[in-house]
Amino acid sequence: MAQRQAQVPSPPELRAKARRPMVPVFRAVLWATIGFVVINAMAAWLDPSPNSPYLPAVGAVAGWFGGLIGWLLGIGGYEHVIRPMFGHPAPVSHSTGWRQYFDFSTNHKVIGTQYLIFSTATFFWAGLIAMAMRFQLMSWRPTIFQYPQNYLNAVGIHGTLMMFTVATVAMIGGLGNYMVPLMIGARETVFPKASGLSIWLVPIGVMTVTMSPLLGNWTTGWRGYEPLAASDGNGMLFYYLGVFALTTSSLIVSLNLTTTIIFKRTKGMTWNRLPIFVWGILTVSLLNIIWLPEIQAAFIISLLDKLIPFNFFNALGQPLGYAELFWLFGHPEVYIVVVPALAMWNELLPVFTRKSLFARPMAVLGLVFVMMLSGMVWAHHMFTNMRFSEMLPFSFFTEMISIPTGFAYLAAIGTLWKSRLRLTTPALLVLMSMFNFLIGGLTGLFLADVPANLQLHDTFFVVGHFHYTIIGGMVFSWMAAMYYWLPKFTGRTYSEFWGKLGAIWVFITFNLTFSNFFILGLRGMNRWVSSYPHYLMSENFWTSIYAFLLGAGFLLNLVHILWAWNAGPKVKENPWEAKTLEWHTSSPPPAKNFDVLPEVVGSFYVYGDQVPEPVAAASQIGGRAPSV
Amino acid sequence: MSDVVIFGILWIVFSVLGELGAKAWVDSAPQGSGPYFGVASNVGLVGVHAFDFLVWVALPIFVFVALMIVFSMVRFHVRKDSPATGDAPAQFRNNKAFVGIWVVASILINVLIWLHPNASGLETVFAAQAPQNNPNALVVDVTARQWEWIFSYPQYHITQSLNAAGQDVLYLPVNRPVKFVLRSYDPFHAYDYQIAVIHGFWIPAFGIKLDVVPGETRQLYLTPTKLTSTEQNPMTRVQCSEVCGPGHPYMEANVHVVTAAQFAAWVKGQQAAGN
Ligand code: HEM
Ligand SMILES: [Cu+2]
Ligand SMILES: [Cu+2]
Repeated sequence: MAQRQAQVPSPPELRAKARRPMVPVFRAVLWATIGFVVINAMAAWLDPSPNSPYLPAVGAVAGWFGGLIGWLLGIGGYEHVIRPMFGHPAPVSHSTGWRQYFDFSTNHKVIGTQYLIFSTATFFWAGLIAMAMRFQLMSWRPTIFQYPQNYLNAVGIHGTLMMFTVATVAMIGGLGNYMVPLMIGARETVFPKASGLSIWLVPIGVMTVTMSPLLGNWTTGWRGYEPLAASDGNGMLFYYLGVFALTTSSLIVSLNLTTTIIFKRTKGMTWNRLPIFVWGILTVSLLNIIWLPEIQAAFIISLLDKLIPFNFFNALGQPLGYAELFWLFGHPEVYIVVVPALAMWNELLPVFTRKSLFARPMAVLGLVFVMMLSGMVWAHHMFTNMRFSEMLPFSFFTEMISIPTGFAYLAAIGTLWKSRLRLTTPALLVLMSMFNFLIGGLTGLFLADVPANLQLHDTFFVVGHFHYTIIGGMVFSWMAAMYYWLPKFTGRTYSEFWGKLGAIWVFITFNLTFSNFFILGLRGMNRWVSSYPHYLMSENFWTSIYAFLLGAGFLLNLVHILWAWNAGPKVKENPWEAKTLEWHTSSPPPAKNFDVLPEVVGSFYVYGDQVPEPVAAASQIGGRAPSV
Repeated sequence: MSDVVIFGILWIVFSVLGELGAKAWVDSAPQGSGPYFGVASNVGLVGVHAFDFLVWVALPIFVFVALMIVFSMVRFHVRKDSPATGDAPAQFRNNKAFVGIWVVASILINVLIWLHPNASGLETVFAAQAPQNNPNALVVDVTARQWEWIFSYPQYHITQSLNAAGQDVLYLPVNRPVKFVLRSYDPFHAYDYQIAVIHGFWIPAFGIKLDVVPGETRQLYLTPTKLTSTEQNPMTRVQCSEVCGPGHPYMEANVHVVTAAQFAAWVKGQQAAGN
């Protein structure tokens, strides 16, 4: 973590440091504990019950909010938000080096790095849980999960953390926060304080979901399906609250980045010149802004339903109502996962092919149309319980959405054709991502076909399909982006040998693991099972072996990236000869990104020997020469 | 030879090879039910035929894109030490013909597969669900509770069919339409409306499933077309497909598809046992 742009600490900052009694994270933990205990005690006092455990349902929920407030104040909200409201000057962030990542910050690059740290850590934590699940599935009868509710709870935690902390966060809160201001030539984001707080909702959310079984096992999986949720263990409450924290974090990221993209573009950065990756972040941010409040409302209703109970979603109410509300958000969610990945392909391919981006307007339109159609397809998750009359329209829209998704391939293929492809690790990972997502997308055709769906739904075929889209599409692109931007983050680079080895390793083991999921599904393996009929055992056994090798492969990449981050060979500025603005400043970028704001005069995606630079030379706009 | 021609030839060759492989897969079980590892019901056949058709369609698309990736890696790849530095000599940002064909083809393919096998298959499924097309149907009341499948045969006054071990069991005569009436509630704790959850009624070998939703009564008509049983083929089992709590993995029941005579004998046995 080498953001070592040694700012000479000025005297007032030193004084602030002297006054600060405790490391922010420790103070935050302390205040959160106090908040939780006090509010829980108050709830227990107001609502006494002779039989209730120490943590009654109401107390746990109320206490959680107390803990949340204590946490956010303790991490820096008190000095940076509350005190300034009463006229005190806001303190200047004083931490440097690795410490700044465990402190409140308003620097979008620090915040982006914090998101990357938490997403990566959670990826490996939830991945470890997946390894435990795969270990259980090596045998047809219970081994490490003696009771199925423990296994099902593990599935739910794995899915929830992977979706709300990794898949929809790493490329948006992480890379988006870090790169978008740099790519549009801005010095900061519009809401730096909200953004500085929003990251700290992530560890709270992850902790809440992880600790949920302490309140009682929940078995619904990441979808929190009703009416099961209402009769399930009280851990369900922490699922709602944890996801509430995580989605609020993403919502703030999206509000911040959307306004930043609208208002902070540098001179000459017209909408037509906006980088593809920024388009991707803009479209998914709009999806987040539309759909996250919707699912949060649904979760609040469900939480109250569980506490009161209201009977909203059980046999007295409308059991399918929850499924509708969930998938209304849930389907756009999967595009929130994959749109930044599609954008990433076309961001990187021109750089590595030395060739103009093909059909750029189509690539952008594809992202926008995917965004618009994604709200019209939710019920394709519900073919097994809908009316006949709904089947035709929902299968229609579902199949249509593959057309704009295909535009990403159209642009990528056109760019590859007759190019000068430099097969570096990031380029290789992009091509692998295209291959994997192709399988994810084509298996989607089978699932969109209603007669086939009635067999494939709720089997491992579906599990294979969505891991192909999420890992195959998003995680591979995320890795490509990490290798690509590593010289930007650190001024250092990775080893091509280990990079390629890591990429090929995860590519092969990923495909071995998840192609078996399709076959398992077709052979009658259903989802959410810790035990299964004996005939499925040998295939499951081998699938687990491949999964362990895949997990080791991800670990290899992690170690390699961490090594490169700290000790990789120094590299010249802009080693890829990329054109976008983030490469027009030093690496790592200075606190305010650009000494002189660059001016855009042409497209970033036009290559060719005669093509002039898209960014006005610093001499033309005055000031320090950009280090290209 | 130009790149386009080489690519085109490779695409056709690999697509043909792929389709041959796909054909072997499809035909690896009777009636083209290879991908489903065999199918034992009329509606399941609709699903697997849709699956087969989509395999035919998806294969050339898969080969096109996957080959394009590999082709670029081989053909357009420049080594690090290659003298060919700088930008690619060919710089084009559009190709109206390619984009036009791509857009039109992707629209056509999607509309086509929506019409067939989707809409056409659904017509068959809908027709198979019409009562008038299922004369003399055997009625089986299916009750899903946490965590058990209960089967009643009202026409034969069997309230809960059980095997010798006292487990719920489903017996069906071959080639006779069955009307499953699906409900989710707990007949043993009928006062507790909160424990009824969504289950999924699925017999993998029949190639179809339907959710069982509390507060609703749903029907599923199908006709078993093969003599089989859970013992012969473990895909012939009732398996809950929607997560319904800790007992979900164990929410299974054995199935026997038998001849009409065997079925009649079984019914007698159940009645004699007072089930
Ligand atoms: C390291 C490799 C991984 C393995 C071996 C793995 C394995 C599994 C398994 C066995 C299940 C249970 C399926 C079921 O019974 O329904 C599952 C569920 C799931 N996985 Fe993964 N997974 C991996 C990585 C990921 C990643 C990276 C993501 C997303 C970023 C992800 C998202 C999900 C989701 C959303 C579910 C559904 C959970 C539910 O049904 O509630 N997985 N995974
Ligand atoms: Cu069930
Ligand atoms: Cu179930």
